Amino acid sequence: MPEQIPESIKAIMEQRHPGADLRVSARADLGDGGIFGDKWLLLAGDHVVVCQDGEVPQVATDLPLSDISSFEIDTLVGGAALRAVVNGKRIDLISFTNALADRFGRVREQLDAAVKGKPIPEREERINRCPTCGMVLGEYTRVCPRCLRRGAVLRRLLAYARPYRGRVILIMVLLVCGTAVGLAPPLLTKYLVDDVLIPRRNIQLLFILVAGLAGTSILSTGMEIWRGRLAAWLGGRISFDLRAELYERLQWLSLRYYDKHPTGALISRLTQDSGGVQDLLAFALPMVVSSVIQIIGVAIVLFAMNWKLAILALIPVPFLFLLTHSLWLKLRKAWHAYWYRWGRFHTLVNDALNRVKVTKAFSQQPSEIGRYAIRNDDLRFAGVRAEQTSATMFPFMWLVVGSGSLLVWLFGGVLAIRAQITAGDVVAFLAYVGMIQFPLHFLSQVAQWLSRALTAAERVFEVLDTESDSEKIKGSISTERLRGEVEFQHVNFGYERHQQVLKDVSFRVEPGHMLGLVGKSGAGKTTVINLLGRFYDTDEGDVLVDGVNVKDLALWDYRKHLGVVLQEPFLFGGTIAENIAYGKPDATPEEIMAAAKVANAHDFVVNKPDGYDEQVGERGGRLSAGERQRICIARAILRNPAILVLDEATASVDLETEQQIQEAIARLIEGRTTFAIAHRLSTLRNAHQLVVLEDGKIVESGTHEELEAQKGVYAGLLEMHQKTSMVGALHAD
Amino acid sequence: MLTRGPVASLELRYLDPEDVRVFRGEDGRVYASIKDEVTLISPAFVRSHPLTDPDRYIAIKGTIPKEGMEARGDEFGLLRHWRRLEPESRRLVEGQLARRYLHPRLTRIVSLREYSGVQVAVFETDRGVREVTLRDVRDNVIYLDSNRVLITDAENNRYDIPDLSALDRQSRVYLARII
Repeated sequence: MPEQIPESIKAIMEQRHPGADLRVSARADLGDGGIFGDKWLLLAGDHVVVCQDGEVPQVATDLPLSDISSFEIDTLVGGAALRAVVNGKRIDLISFTNALADRFGRVREQLDAAVKGKPIPEREERINRCPTCGMVLGEYTRVCPRCLRRGAVLRRLLAYARPYRGRVILIMVLLVCGTAVGLAPPLLTKYLVDDVLIPRRNIQLLFILVAGLAGTSILSTGMEIWRGRLAAWLGGRISFDLRAELYERLQWLSLRYYDKHPTGALISRLTQDSGGVQDLLAFALPMVVSSVIQIIGVAIVLFAMNWKLAILALIPVPFLFLLTHSLWLKLRKAWHAYWYRWGRFHTLVNDALNRVKVTKAFSQQPSEIGRYAIRNDDLRFAGVRAEQTSATMFPFMWLVVGSGSLLVWLFGGVLAIRAQITAGDVVAFLAYVGMIQFPLHFLSQVAQWLSRALTAAERVFEVLDTESDSEKIKGSISTERLRGEVEFQHVNFGYERHQQVLKDVSFRVEPGHMLGLVGKSGAGKTTVINLLGRFYDTDEGDVLVDGVNVKDLALWDYRKHLGVVLQEPFLFGGTIAENIAYGKPDATPEEIMAAAKVANAHDFVVNKPDGYDEQVGERGGRLSAGERQRICIARAILRNPAILVLDEATASVDLETEQQIQEAIARLIEGRTTFAIAHRLSTLRNAHQLVVLEDGKIVESGTHEELEAQKGVYAGLLEMHQKTSMVGALHAD
Repeated sequence: MLTRGPVASLELRYLDPEDVRVFRGEDGRVYASIKDEVTLISPAFVRSHPLTDPDRYIAIKGTIPKEGMEARGDEFGLLRHWRRLEPESRRLVEGQLARRYLHPRLTRIVSLREYSGVQVAVFETDRGVREVTLRDVRDNVIYLDSNRVLITDAENNRYDIPDLSALDRQSRVYLARII
C-alpha cells in the first residue's frame, strides 16, 4: 500500500487540478539538489505532477500525460532517477536513494500503464519497515529486533522440547532437588562448629555430621552429573531437529532468496545461529533456572536463621550486580573488537593463500607479507587489549565480590560477641553468601546473552518461515508428459524491480524444435532460460508450456521435464556414476552407461583406473573441462527431458573435444525442444529459429539464412565472429 | 582524427579542457562538443575513480547524433582536470556529476541505539540528516584505507566517511561501538 499523501500536498493538487483523481502517488526521499527530503510524484487525472514537500509545498514539474511517450529509470550511483520521455527528450522527474529503488520500479510500471491507456496495476510494495515501530527490516525478514517478543520466541523454541517433555520434567526435578540438597552443607557446618568444635566434645555427632556432609555432596554431585548429561542430550537433540528443519527449508527456498542472501550468511545461520540456540538450551536456560532457585533458597534459609543479619548480608547484592554488569560490558566490547579482527585476519589469510600462485607469478610476496603484517599487528593490538582488560577485570571483580563476606564478618562478629547468634551461624552465613556469588554473577550478564541467543533463534525461525518453492507446488497442474511447446507472451522481467532485464519478449517454439538465443553478454539470454525453468516468475506477461502457464504447473513435476547443460559444468564430489545419475538416482548401471555412450563419455570413463567409480574430486576438479561437459550431457540424456537447455555448452574446450561434444549434443537434442545459448554462432546454424536479443528486447528473429540475408545485428555478429575465429586459426598455426 | 568517432582503439584519449565545450542546446538537452568536430548529445560524465580520485579522469561518454537515435554511448575521452573547463561547461559538468553521484558523506553521528545486533543511528551528512538502520554492519563496512570507511545500511544506501580522524569525539565513540 502506498504511503498516505500529506494534506498540504493534497490541497495543492486540488488547487492545480480540481477534482482530479490521484491515480498514482509515491514519496521519494531526495529533494532538490540531492538533499534528503520528501518529494512526491502524483498522477492527478492525466497530469504527472512532482511536488517538493515542505511548509509550503512547491510544484516542481507538471506534465500532461499525453506529451509523454514512456517512462524510464536512470540508474545512478547511490540511487536512481525516474525520467519521462517527451518528444525523444528525457526529463528528470524525481530522484531517490537505493532505499526506494523497488518502489519506483513499480511506480514506473504504473505510469507506463497509464501512458498506454491500460488500467493502472495496484502497487504492492515490499514491506521493509516494521509496521509497529518503523525500523528498517533486513531484506526478506519481518523480524524487528526492537519489537521482537522475546517471550514468544522462547515459547516457540521450547515447543521443540515438547517431544522430550519427560526429560524436561526430570531435569527440572533434578534442578530443584539438587539445589535443595546443596543448601544443606552450610547448615551442617553450623552444627559442626556450635556443637562439636566449640564445646570440644560429641565425637559421635562429628561422625554423623561429616557423614552427612559427605552424603549431601555425593548426592548433589550425582544429581548435577545426571542433570548436565540430560541437558546436553536435550540441547543437542533440539538443535539437531532445528538444523534438520532449517536445511530442508534452505533446499526449497527460491533462487531470488539466494540472490539476496550470500551463502556465507546462510551457512552461519545453519552453524552459528543454531549453535547459539544449542548453547541457550543446553546451558543458559538451565543455569538461569538453577541460579534463581539457588538465590531464593539461600535467601529463605538466611532469613530463617537471622533476619537482621540476612538483610545486612544481602544489602550489597544489588550494587554488586550492577557493578559486575558494567565491568562485563567493557570486557565484552574488548573481546568483540578482538574477534572481529580475527575474522578479518582470517579472510586475509584465506585470500592470500588461495592466490599464492598468482602472488608468485607476479612476485608480490613482499607486498603480501606487508599486508599480512598490518593485519597481524592490528590483531595483536586488539588481542593484547582484550587479554589485559580480562587480566585486570577478573581479579578486581572477585575482590569486589569478596567484599560481601567482609560485611558478614563484621556485623556477624558483632552479633556473635553480643551472643545474639552463634559462631556456627556466622560460618554458615559466610558459606551461604559465598554460594550465591556465582549465580548472581551469572544473572548479571544473562540478559544480554539471552537476548543474543534469542535473536539467533529468531533468525533461524525466519528462514523456516520464508515462503519456499515447495509451497507454490501445492494445488497446481501436474504434467505426466510434455510435448515441449513453449511460448513467451509479452514477458517483462527484472531481477530488481527497477532494472528491467527483459522487455516485452514474445516468441514461440514448436515441440522438438531448437531455438537459438543470440546476443551480447547481459542481453538477457540466460534470463530467458531462468524464466523458462521458472527459477523466477515474470513481472508481466506469461510463459506457456504446452499452452499452460508455467505458474499453474506443478513445479516439481515440470522441472522433471527440463534438462540443463550449463556453461560451467557443475559436478559434485563423488563418483562419475553418481554424477551422471544425479537427476535420476534410481538409474541402473546399464542406463548410466548407455547415457554416457551417447554423450561420447563412455570411452574416456572406462579408461579411468576406477572407471565409473572414479572420484571426480571437489567440483569435478580431477577431470578436464571437456570431460566434465560430457558427463553433464550424459546427466541430461539420462534424465530424458522434453525441454533441453544448452548454455554455451562448448565454450573453452579444444577442437577435437568440441567435435565430440557437438556430436553428443546433436544426439541429445534430437526430438526435444531445445533452447541453446552460444557465442559461437556456428553451433546455432541448425537451429529452427534464432532470436537475437539486445538490451532485453528481441531485435531480430528467423532462421540463420534469413538473418544472414537481413544484414542486421545477427549478420554483424556473424561477421565479427568469423574475424575472431580467423585470428584464432592464425594463432593455432 | 577525432571525426572517426570511437573505434576500437587501444589508446586512451585524454582530452584537453580547452577543446571541450559543454552547453545546453535550444531543445534543453546537454551537448558536448569536442574540438568543434564532434558533438555529443546528452553525454554522460563518469568518474573513473569515484572514491579515491573523484575529480580527475572524468570519462565523457556519448553518441554522435544520428537520425532519431540516442543510444548508450561509448567513451570519447577522459578529462584529467574537468575543473579547467571554461565556466559555463564546468557548471554543467558539475551539475551532471552531482546528479549522478548521490552518495552522502557522513559528517557526524548524532545518536546510536542498539537492538540485539541491529543499530539505529542518526547520521548527519552533506545531504542532510537521516535515520539509518545498520544490520550486520561489520559485513557492510569497507575500509579503503585505515582512515577511510564506507558503510552500507540496511536499505542499501552507502555512506562515505572520507576521514575518520576528522570526526568529532562522540561520533568516533559511536563508530567504535559498531565497527
